[in-house]
Amino acid sequence: MSMIDTPLMQRLSRFLDATASRSGVIANNIANIDTPGYHARDLDFRSQLTSIMNSDAQTTPPRVVEVRGLTERPDGNNVNMDREGLALAQTQLQFQTSVALMRAEIHRLSQAIHEGSSQ
Amino acid sequence: MNLFGVMGISASGLNAQRTRAEVVAGNMANAESTRTPEGGPYQRKEVVLQSQGPSSFRMQLAGAASQPGGATSGVAVRSIVTDTATPIMRYEPSHPDADSNGFVAYPNINPVLEMTDLMGAARGYQMNASAVQAAKQMIQQSIELLK
Repeated sequence: MSMIDTPLMQRLSRFLDATASRSGVIANNIANIDTPGYHARDLDFRSQLTSIMNSDAQTTPPRVVEVRGLTERPDGNNVNMDREGLALAQTQLQFQTSVALMRAEIHRLSQAIHEGSSQ
Repeated sequence: MNLFGVMGISASGLNAQRTRAEVVAGNMANAESTRTPEGGPYQRKEVVLQSQGPSSFRMQLAGAASQPGGATSGVAVRSIVTDTATPIMRYEPSHPDADSNGFVAYPNINPVLEMTDLMGAARGYQMNASAVQAAKQMIQQSIELLK
């Protein structure tokens, strides 16, 4: 473990990867909002998060699963605009939080480098 | 998936919805066209959307690793098909395109149907545009890390 590469930073960077992947899946759902027969997908976010928090080694690639319990329209598409909008906002905020935490960590390190002075 | 890939997916959605709006506009504009290069009255056009398969090797790999459905990359206009509904016949004997009985074949276009489709396209476009906005903000935040 180097100075920069702290466990917190490792986990945060994996969390950033996971949120970026999830935003891709959501963007795909939104792009296919009018494609007949398309079924909404999502990351298995909970299991992804568990693997991020537990393992120190490389995490498994995110698992994409079909979302269950959505109402299908007559054309076979079950993308729900509200759900996707909400999920997008959620991912965005998660990403933002993660970036903020990373910045704080970097700031802490640079403070240590500067012998605890505020500069 | 990187964040620029997210923007690419949303861009494909924007493109598909815009094409849809263009086709609707074409239908509305030609609602009274009795002549076309192919002959006969204008026939209503419709877009067929199809979800796209993984584009790159990396996405293919990611898709193979995650079941079911795997990773896809956006949407595409598969084709623009012609609606073969029978034309509306109107009695206008003085019209140059009238047949021997005095009937003119007009395109079978329902303004309500077209307007609903246009609204759907506009909303879909909006939704994709906000997804682009979200991806853009996330990229900007990552850049902030450098400051």
